[in-house]
Amino acid sequence: MFKMNECRKLISLVKRNTKCYFKDKIAFFMSLITPLILLVLFVTFLKNVYIDSFSSVLPEGGTVNKRIIEGIAGAWLMSSILSVSSVTVAFCSNTIMVEDKINFYVNDFKVSPVKPVTVSFAYFVSNFFVTFIVMMVVMLIGHIYLAAVGWYLNAGDVFMIILDCICGILFGTLLAGIVESFVSTQGGLSAVATLVSSMYGFICGAYMPLSQFSEGLRNVLCLLPGTYSVGIIRNHYMGGYISALENAGIPKEALTAIKDSFDANLYVFGTNVPLGAMYGILLGTCVVLVAVYIAIIMLKNKKK
Amino acid sequence: MIIEIDNLKKSFKEVKAVDDVSFRVKEGELFSFLGVNGAGKSTTINIISGILKKDGGNVKVCGYDLDTQTDAIKSKIGIVFQNSVLDKKLTVYENLKYRANLYGIFGNEFKTRLEEISDLLELKEILKRPLEKLSGGQKRRIDIARALVHNPELLILDEPTTGLDPKTRITVWRVIDKLRKENGLTVFLTTHYMEEAAESDYVVIIDSGKIVSEGTPHNLKNEYASDFVKFYNHREEAERYFGEKGYKIKHERDFIQVELKSTSEISGFFKEKPLLFDDFEVLKGNMDNVFLKVTGKDLSGV
Repeated sequence: MFKMNECRKLISLVKRNTKCYFKDKIAFFMSLITPLILLVLFVTFLKNVYIDSFSSVLPEGGTVNKRIIEGIAGAWLMSSILSVSSVTVAFCSNTIMVEDKINFYVNDFKVSPVKPVTVSFAYFVSNFFVTFIVMMVVMLIGHIYLAAVGWYLNAGDVFMIILDCICGILFGTLLAGIVESFVSTQGGLSAVATLVSSMYGFICGAYMPLSQFSEGLRNVLCLLPGTYSVGIIRNHYMGGYISALENAGIPKEALTAIKDSFDANLYVFGTNVPLGAMYGILLGTCVVLVAVYIAIIMLKNKKK
Repeated sequence: MIIEIDNLKKSFKEVKAVDDVSFRVKEGELFSFLGVNGAGKSTTINIISGILKKDGGNVKVCGYDLDTQTDAIKSKIGIVFQNSVLDKKLTVYENLKYRANLYGIFGNEFKTRLEEISDLLELKEILKRPLEKLSGGQKRRIDIARALVHNPELLILDEPTTGLDPKTRITVWRVIDKLRKENGLTVFLTTHYMEEAAESDYVVIIDSGKIVSEGTPHNLKNEYASDFVKFYNHREEAERYFGEKGYKIKHERDFIQVELKSTSEISGFFKEKPLLFDDFEVLKGNMDNVFLKVTGKDLSGV
């Protein structure tokens, strides 16, 4: 699709966008602070609620290592934070694209022999990198917390979690790129970022397990691709802890109940969605979003 | 001809921003495009540079057709926008590097070009400084450096000195003059400052999207501008003399100002009535007068 020279221009624009973003210390701080506040709030106010919820699903009378229970609650919280952040941080970090429009910097690209699709793709790639870096910082801090309360993940789990984050970020940055391509004011950017930050966690089942919603609402939310971004990351965060519970002699029925109650298993109209299908839905959505993104760029360029 | 524009049209809904405009810009000349805000200057520039699409007409820049060879045109023109479009947080070096890359200039080719521009615009000492730390004049020099980073044949300056203090304006014009003399660059200028337009080789005046007049500053002044003679401490008879002959007279505290097509018209008065005033001063018509006559609009308040 791209010629060699256009690829070098793309790399240069990505470097420029990323450098501009990280030189704006406030923008970076604001992107980082939101998931960290979520982590602190979860640990401070909700940790015990989830520990009680996990304990209630386990068979009565059995003794399970406290670190597994505290760890699985922490892992569930981490999966929520990372899956939400993959979208909310992407929306908050896409400031360069909107600021370039607000300040008419885009005109400097329009008068240069660079394709509009290259400029737009560069915003997407740089936003992807920025969101990834913010997420990895949050993940690192979260994993330090998990190590303190109960670490039952192996290298494979962490690798898969990073891969899940990448899928989530891909989805989030594409969505941010499409929505924010229609935003051309600072107020608009703040409004969109606030709206997404406050709503997304609920509609993807990150703040509250879908199992606690009514069946109708659960089915509707399962039609949204973001739900599967939460689903895949939950599976890999909880996997190590489920194995630890299995090794501790917890019966399979109880483990399935935990998976069902805490969204490691997702059901659409009563049918379980396997992990592979979750990836398929999420990545398939990304392909559609890429097509929509390109169509928007083409249309906007045609209109000018 | 470096720019050939025929019957250019562009509308925004019902507003005809550019209405059947045609003009030519010769290679190496300083060409001025004059008009009040909203006259159609920036729209024309934005069409030439590829920011906006035209509704009709033909545009050729450096021999390339705008409809089919846009990228070739973009490589031949450099633009200094009214407001800087460079990244304030990045250093001068980073800004120029990333913009040069957009023209396919990388690595050693960029370093060589940077060396040339740095020498030309005296940038060496500020290359590592962030743009936001520079003075207004330095920032304008960087804007010009960005426009020249790909060695264009045509430099478009969209009101480059608007909002700058007089000292910085002089600095900017010194740089532009140097570029014209040493590099033979063609400069397409839009400005509100008539003294800048007066230095041009050719001037086009645009109003409400239409060209209302064009020519060299000398020809335009001859055609439209009046001469003014101020008579200090005049006698009443002098005022009567000019009044009877139908001249336009402006009264000031200690002088009257008489507007004439040419001072030679009243050479007889100086000979016949030398005692009707203590002193006099002749002011030649300028581009402000030309603009006012042609458009009926005063640019001094813009």
